[in-house]
Amino acid sequence: MGAILQNPTQAEQDLLKSFSAERSDTQRQAAFERFARAGLPSRRNEAWHYTDLRAKLRAAPPRASRPDASVLDQAKEKLAPVDRFRIVTVDGYFSPELSDDLTCVQGVKLRPLVADDAILKRLAEGAEDALLDLNTAFAEGGFALEIAPEVHIDAVFELVALDGALGALGRFGRTVVVLGDGARAAILETRAESGEGFGDSAIFLSLGRGAELDYACRAQGGAAVEVQTFVARLEEEARLRAVSFLAGAPFLRRQLFISCAGANAEVHLAGAALLRGREHADTTLALTHDAPSCISRETFKYVLADQANGVFQGRIIVPPHAQKTDGKMLCRGLLLSDDAAMSAKPELEIFADDVACGHGAAVAKLDQNQVFYMESRGIPREEARAILVEAFAAEAFDLLDDEELRDLLKADLARLLARGDFA
Amino acid sequence: MLEVKNLHVSVAGKKIIDGLSLKVADGEVAAIMGPNGSGKSTLSYVVAGRADYEVTEGSIRLDGVDLLDKTPAERAALGLFLVFQYPLEIPGVATMTFLKAAMNAQRKAREQAELSTPEFMKKVREAAAKLNIPQDMLKRPVNLGFSGGEKKRMEILQMALLEPKFAILDEMDSGLDIDALRICAEGVNALRSKERGLLVITHYQRLLDYIAPDTVHVMHKGRIVRSGGPELALELEKSGYADYAEEAA
Repeated sequence: MGAILQNPTQAEQDLLKSFSAERSDTQRQAAFERFARAGLPSRRNEAWHYTDLRAKLRAAPPRASRPDASVLDQAKEKLAPVDRFRIVTVDGYFSPELSDDLTCVQGVKLRPLVADDAILKRLAEGAEDALLDLNTAFAEGGFALEIAPEVHIDAVFELVALDGALGALGRFGRTVVVLGDGARAAILETRAESGEGFGDSAIFLSLGRGAELDYACRAQGGAAVEVQTFVARLEEEARLRAVSFLAGAPFLRRQLFISCAGANAEVHLAGAALLRGREHADTTLALTHDAPSCISRETFKYVLADQANGVFQGRIIVPPHAQKTDGKMLCRGLLLSDDAAMSAKPELEIFADDVACGHGAAVAKLDQNQVFYMESRGIPREEARAILVEAFAAEAFDLLDDEELRDLLKADLARLLARGDFA
Repeated sequence: MLEVKNLHVSVAGKKIIDGLSLKVADGEVAAIMGPNGSGKSTLSYVVAGRADYEVTEGSIRLDGVDLLDKTPAERAALGLFLVFQYPLEIPGVATMTFLKAAMNAQRKAREQAELSTPEFMKKVREAAAKLNIPQDMLKRPVNLGFSGGEKKRMEILQMALLEPKFAILDEMDSGLDIDALRICAEGVNALRSKERGLLVITHYQRLLDYIAPDTVHVMHKGRIVRSGGPELALELEKSGYADYAEEAA
């Protein structure tokens, strides 16, 4: 296998070696073969131009094994009681012991993913990426959450990803969420796999006809090198509102592959990334309007302090049959330091002639006149700056319909800013 | 009492204020009039502590405390307030959040306890009612999309809530129609007191019909060129600033 790739890096050799030892199903095998040909993406790969994973990932740490009882016990201590349905993975493995029992919740099914899970086949279509392939090849112990048609769940589902075993490890979590036709739910994904090592997780969302989902991901902390893939497919008239809040990960790539597969689907996306030190966060979005009359709105915001590096790449694809597409994408960066950097690359690929699409990107510093105005009222400069940063970032959360999710993210943001790193 | 002595100020190497001296006592309402470019707004910004102005000489004291080595927020906590000619819009920051942050920051600086939310709400509601400020205006982000009159009313509301020892009104009448001017002026007049000094900066006599000054100063080319009583404003309204331009030239 390894022979296919020219001059593999240490990390690529590690990854190739670690696969050959195991048995696998067809999806796994096909994904691994694609990875083995392509290798880790580098800046020569356009989609990864600003995040050179091949250079960054020197060696691939061994894969985490299924957590034993003592690892689970330690992980359990990180979980405070909450009023939400909680589904927990440890080192990427679904843990029924730490998760809430959902068997008695009408219309909800929680189950482990199985080999060649039929549900994944269609969802993964069109999401072509080496790290997603790697996840497909290596992920074990993932789960599927299925919500039956027309079922409305008021409580929030929280999907918590924790690290368990110590030391540098590779973690490959994999989650599938299916909303049947007309179903409604709210999901909070809390990613807290921190420390050394390498994370390559994926979540797949399927929204049936007229289904409606509020989704928020908070990635606070993260592995030394982390890639998160988000794949969503919307059928007719489905509505997805998805928000991400990124902070504290040293090197994070978050990639979103979204397809509006049915007419009149609506996607509202937003993100806030607050980076400091030498943190690097890349959000790369590929959104395909694969049916007519779909609406999409994207607003991604970056607050960059110290020597932080923010990347946004957004691509809206409108094939010829997607007439009446309405898409708008915006990226805004706020630079708090002369040494911080922001790269923004919004793109439209439009092949239909009757569409309304637009994109924009703006990077600026805090408005000194606003700061002075607040200071002149007695608000000390640091506090004034923090208030302005909070206002800038918090706007990203407003698109969520679910008040609990919105409030949670705003509280997280306030806590982060109270530490004073972004003033 | 505000006391400015022999103040010299430059912006990007250009002299804007050139040896200005001025005293405004507690309870006094002083007006500064002058043509465009005479340095009036610069004076208000320098007193409030805005960056980008270089004070090369002189002093500014409030009740004997030197302001020049203080930050803008420290000056505010000492009791200084500036009514902006063009109040800033701050998207995303709710007016109530802003007001509360300002009031509590000043209280903290003066080592007073923070206001509880009900106390704060009550104060704001009462002050807003006096200025005809509807509740829904308070729910919007700071000054966002407000008309000129609404913005100025919001400035006076802040002044009423912060209860400064000394306030500077920088061209408060700009952008106001007659009705809005009257409401704002009434708001200011309600805040006149024996302890509180006011410095009213304006081009026109008109504002002084509503806020009657005790003293009037004419500013030209960065200094006070004439001082007198209210009659001086009336005289200027007739003759304009041309005399001073010649005098100084």
